[in-house]
Amino acid sequence: MAEYKILFTGTMGAGKTTAIGAVSETPPVVTDVVSTDPSHGKSHTTVGLDFGQLTLPSGDRVRLFGTPGQARFDFLWKILVKNALGLIILVDNSRPAPLTDLKVYLDGFTDELGQLPCVVGVGRLPGHPKPGLDDYLDEMARRNLVLPVLEVDVRQRADVVLLIDTLLAQLEASQYGV
Amino acid sequence: MIQNEAERLLQEVLGVAAVVVATSDGFDVASAMKQGDPTRVAAMASSIFAISAVVSQEASLGRSRSVTIDTEEGFAIVHSVYRPNADLVISVIADADAILGQVAYQVSQFARSLASA
Repeated sequence: MAEYKILFTGTMGAGKTTAIGAVSETPPVVTDVVSTDPSHGKSHTTVGLDFGQLTLPSGDRVRLFGTPGQARFDFLWKILVKNALGLIILVDNSRPAPLTDLKVYLDGFTDELGQLPCVVGVGRLPGHPKPGLDDYLDEMARRNLVLPVLEVDVRQRADVVLLIDTLLAQLEASQYGV
Repeated sequence: MIQNEAERLLQEVLGVAAVVVATSDGFDVASAMKQGDPTRVAAMASSIFAISAVVSQEASLGRSRSVTIDTEEGFAIVHSVYRPNADLVISVIADADAILGQVAYQVSQFARSLASA
């Protein structure tokens, strides 16, 4: 029975806290506080971490951690990514510059991306089709990164499970030298 | 005035090296520091405030009042200020010359005055 740690990151409002809440078997640990930042439409924001747990059909247990999105909390990104087996970057396609948002996390986790599997989940595509998934792939190709990019709605448990499964599949593939 | 009180603590209390008052979501609203970046201290303090809230909830101990980080060469106190409209967090960083009880008392007095302001 293996234990995995997976880290969710991405911009404020991308759905990290929501994603973990959608799959966690136990009530997730959430460190949301009232947001005083008027530039975002959200009433609350994560300032510490999110934590949830999930048991896979195989019996393996997954510990899910979520980072705060804003760059002023980037000191926590390094702390929270320690011993993570993989990274899920969530992007909100309704924001003005989602590819720029993605870059913040590709930069913030450059070292880890050299060693850990990563999956990118793009949310709110139906109402905001641009940039498309191909644009994300192109952006990452520019950095010599080949990562799965999936369209997701993190309010749906099945979509979050898909992100986790994709990440674990990459992990297994790397263990077999694929 | 919050800024005046932050400066008073820095000047008058032995060993205090920095005072930062922040919103609970990590923006600094007042600070007095011998050195350092109030923006980073504010963000860190808000994380500590939030994590300590979860700990005290898990332990069913009521709300977290403060966190003391005891280090090799000094200490830091992160004190919650609960207010009806918006919570604040006071961080005080102190060096080896500081007396914990004295700094803790001054910080809790400051917190009390902010809570009722």
